[in-house]
Amino acid sequence: MNISNDSEFRAALSSLSGATRRLVAARLAANVLTLCPDPRVQGAIDSAKRTNISDAELAAAYQSAKAASVDSYTQCGHECNWSDQASHFVAEAGVACVQPEQPGTNAAWDAAMQARMARTCETIATGHGTDNTEAAAQYRILAEFLKA
Amino acid sequence: MTATLEKGISVLKEVIDAPIASYFSSCVHCGLCAEACLFYTETGDAKYTPIYKLEPLRRVYQQEYTLLGRFAKLLGLSKPVTDEELEEWKPLVYDSCTMCGRCSLVCPVGNDIVYMVRKLREGMAISGHAPDGLVGAAQRAVEIGSPMGVKLPAVKAQMKHVQADTGIEIPLDVVGAEYLVLMSSMEIINFPEYLAAIARIMKQAGKSWTLCSEAFEATNSGIQIGVSDIARVLVQRIVDGAEKLKVKTVISPECGHAYTALRWEGPNLIGRPYTFEVLHILEVLDGLRDQGLLKTTGFEETKLTFHDPCQLVRRGGVLEEPRRLLNLVANNYVETSDPGKMNWCCGGGGGVSAIEEAEPLRLQAFKIKKAQLEATGAKTLVTACANCRIVLEEGLEHYKMDIPVVGLTETIAAHLTKGD
Repeated sequence: MNISNDSEFRAALSSLSGATRRLVAARLAANVLTLCPDPRVQGAIDSAKRTNISDAELAAAYQSAKAASVDSYTQCGHECNWSDQASHFVAEAGVACVQPEQPGTNAAWDAAMQARMARTCETIATGHGTDNTEAAAQYRILAEFLKA
Repeated sequence: MTATLEKGISVLKEVIDAPIASYFSSCVHCGLCAEACLFYTETGDAKYTPIYKLEPLRRVYQQEYTLLGRFAKLLGLSKPVTDEELEEWKPLVYDSCTMCGRCSLVCPVGNDIVYMVRKLREGMAISGHAPDGLVGAAQRAVEIGSPMGVKLPAVKAQMKHVQADTGIEIPLDVVGAEYLVLMSSMEIINFPEYLAAIARIMKQAGKSWTLCSEAFEATNSGIQIGVSDIARVLVQRIVDGAEKLKVKTVISPECGHAYTALRWEGPNLIGRPYTFEVLHILEVLDGLRDQGLLKTTGFEETKLTFHDPCQLVRRGGVLEEPRRLLNLVANNYVETSDPGKMNWCCGGGGGVSAIEEAEPLRLQAFKIKKAQLEATGAKTLVTACANCRIVLEEGLEHYKMDIPVVGLTETIAAHLTKGD
């Protein structure tokens, strides 16, 4: 399956079951994991990759990722460090992977958007402009997942 | 300018105007303001009584502007305000005052204690006794244009992200647009969903809007630190941007102090009326709802409650708008105890969340918010201030309460009818 834009990306994600979306979300979040040193986020993403995870384990992973996300907010009035902020959005992507599924939400899409924000923050931090190639990487990740 | 005690005292003398003189002379020492302050109720420490926080200002008032006080000063019988004393008062004037205005509201003689704290902060800042966190924020606001150091490339990066997310073009520097949308640094950095929500809502409503490359930031650190000159510069920047683009309305974002600064203090700061209207985003959304331009579908399924941002609701009067908007999308909405204008502050307003050393006290004061939320049994907390949002999330995380916190604008946008 060829995915070349967000419409196709979103449509492909919508066709997946909730459990499969979680697996895809984990792969999308893992693609930006190098931007986040917090082991709680790594743990949440690893949990989301497991097909046999229990509800209790998922809930624990969610609590852990949520704590990492809250801890990494840039607080009002503090000078923004865009590398740290990239890490925050990776944590948010980690939360998306393991949060309880709500009607009308799509964990994989949410993780994709957070991962793109993380990459955007990285580009701001490095001063390399704002070109963001994460979307294209995500299309490839999804296509490979669906192919496997 | 070098900060000195002499300059600080001089400023304190200058800021004592007729209202402040009448407030000090009419205080009946009833203590009601103490019971209205979350820092007092949650610690039980009398030093957090709001009127007591103003002691240095009261002493200057007494020594300079009352007959007995002037005699006492002349005879060397009164104690001058010192650097050591102002330093001792710093945690009272900054760390433990969110300028939420609950004390002003309950004062039986009508003393606006927040107004007095604002004025005391002027002298504190000029004498070099403002917290480092706020000083840094104010400097960045003047030099860079944002208290959190956000520059235009970062805004453009977020615009690109939101365009990709929503498929809607984000307009920049459009002359003649109806609305100029401002954002707080917090929304640019932490909550890109706010801009995405605005894009969706404006598209559905068929309204023209724009961001401004020279005035995208709404936050006003001058108000928080208490330096009117800085507050004026920041307001003027927005006024210049709005007038250059010839917009009809400037929309203040989900940020409490930004609204206070721009809507209520701005014209006095710059010394003239605006040529445009200033509305909070919730006022705009409620207006669109009233005109039938905000078409929503479905309801939030979980029980939710609303945290009233102090500057917006108590100080700003935007009380019914959020509730009318919530009624559009929530059929299991519950009020907290003391809702609306009597709501308890999140604990992080007035610059407190920017003061690192204030964190333990802030979390202690959060216990009152925790109790309010527990009593509702709500599963989702909605608010309309990005600073409140993070302070609430931190407090909830600290006390191990799993209640998601979301912005009202994005909640509305999530329920727009499909195809819009």
